Amino acid sequence: MNEEWSENLASYFQRMLPLLCSLVMLFFSYIPLDLPISNHIRPSVGVICAYFWLLHRPDVFNLLSVYILGLVEDIISSVPMGTNIFTLLIMYLLVINLSRFFNAKPFVIIWYGFALFSLVTFLSKWLLVSVYYSHFLPLPSVMFSYLLTTAVYPILSVINVFVQNRLMTDEE
Amino acid sequence: MKRRKVLFIQFSQLRLLAKKFAIVILFLSAFVLMLINKTDTVVIEKTSSVATDIVSPLIDVLVAPARAMAGVFDYFRDLGHIYSDNQKLREENKRLQIISDKSRALEIENKLLSKLLNYTPPPKATFITARVIAEEGDAFSHSIIAYTGGEGNVKKGQVVMSDNGVIGRVDKPGKRYAKIILITDINSKIPVMVERTRIRGILSGDNTSVPKMIFIPLSAKLSVGDRIITSGVAGVFPPGLPIGKVSSIEKNNVKVKTFGNLDRLEYVKIIDYGLNQDVLTLQEDNALQQKDAANE
Repeated sequence: MNEEWSENLASYFQRMLPLLCSLVMLFFSYIPLDLPISNHIRPSVGVICAYFWLLHRPDVFNLLSVYILGLVEDIISSVPMGTNIFTLLIMYLLVINLSRFFNAKPFVIIWYGFALFSLVTFLSKWLLVSVYYSHFLPLPSVMFSYLLTTAVYPILSVINVFVQNRLMTDEE
Repeated sequence: MKRRKVLFIQFSQLRLLAKKFAIVILFLSAFVLMLINKTDTVVIEKTSSVATDIVSPLIDVLVAPARAMAGVFDYFRDLGHIYSDNQKLREENKRLQIISDKSRALEIENKLLSKLLNYTPPPKATFITARVIAEEGDAFSHSIIAYTGGEGNVKKGQVVMSDNGVIGRVDKPGKRYAKIILITDINSKIPVMVERTRIRGILSGDNTSVPKMIFIPLSAKLSVGDRIITSGVAGVFPPGLPIGKVSSIEKNNVKVKTFGNLDRLEYVKIIDYGLNQDVLTLQEDNALQQKDAANE
């Protein structure tokens, strides 16, 4: 009985691991850095994690995980509540419908895919927030954030791959 | 038994339906959240403050090792500058000693003149020093979260300053943590004036590193390097607080470089000037007016 309970708990934890890993990385992305540009441009860790896990483990990183990740990002951030949820849901729609083009492809193709999808999510977020404030936000800053996010994707992928290969056992 | 089976089938159909339209429901919920946020209700304010109080300790825990590592790096970096820093500090100390003597004499003179004119001084300011635990800066918002302790004396609208000048205002005060909107954020609008000419305007953030000064009279004469201070109009910020200096003037676009270094905020001062007790949301204001009317 006890063994069964601990097995269930371990299995539950395994299923939660992508979300937990994404949340920890998200929290890390808000740590104050003593860098000249850190307060103007930062990578969007939520978008990176959502893309990675939706592409590689959609069985454990589902729609609810995307929603929770967006909600937590909305709480930490000072953008209007709901903006990050909306952004990540767009990423979810893109990945779920178009992932067949990137699955089991070399990393560079997956990276290109991320560059394309994140451009759509960044632009939709920019449009949404601009409509909310009735004022167009500076597009160059959005593009810099987008480029930084795309550049950082391989680094965060290494961490996510580590979590996937070393900490998660395949249940299938 | 049959009825239970029918109920089960209906429930599973509902579940299937919900699963089918889950994405639509979640998109709608995001829109609803944005709409509620737009109305600026007390409920959203309080919920957001509570949520910040729940999430912030998690970031705070993660900051500790990162800060320790950064501290070690800073220690070794600073060791190399000890001699030159010491020389600079000696020079600055000499200069400040002279200024201190002058300011003491002026303070006494000011007190005597105030007494003669029967001048009512503004309420004395109190402040707390808060540690920055999270910072956000991108094209969409510029804010920080600071640990304010458990006193609960931080209120919405209070002025936040670094060593050099105003850097923002408290937006969502929680019990232990407060979300602070920086002056570069698109939501930040501060009544300011040019120290030299006393020309008034509004310092408006636009999510870039240099906010702009708007609503300046067409005839206003401004020059690069002019100091910008708070004007005290609207009563939220007291007058005379340093903000920055004019960095560029292009047609009607006046950009201001802030005195406070927004890239390196480790500790900030949250100052209570006793001015912002009246900073209420529309709903709070209406509720207060209704209460007053009922009492009359």
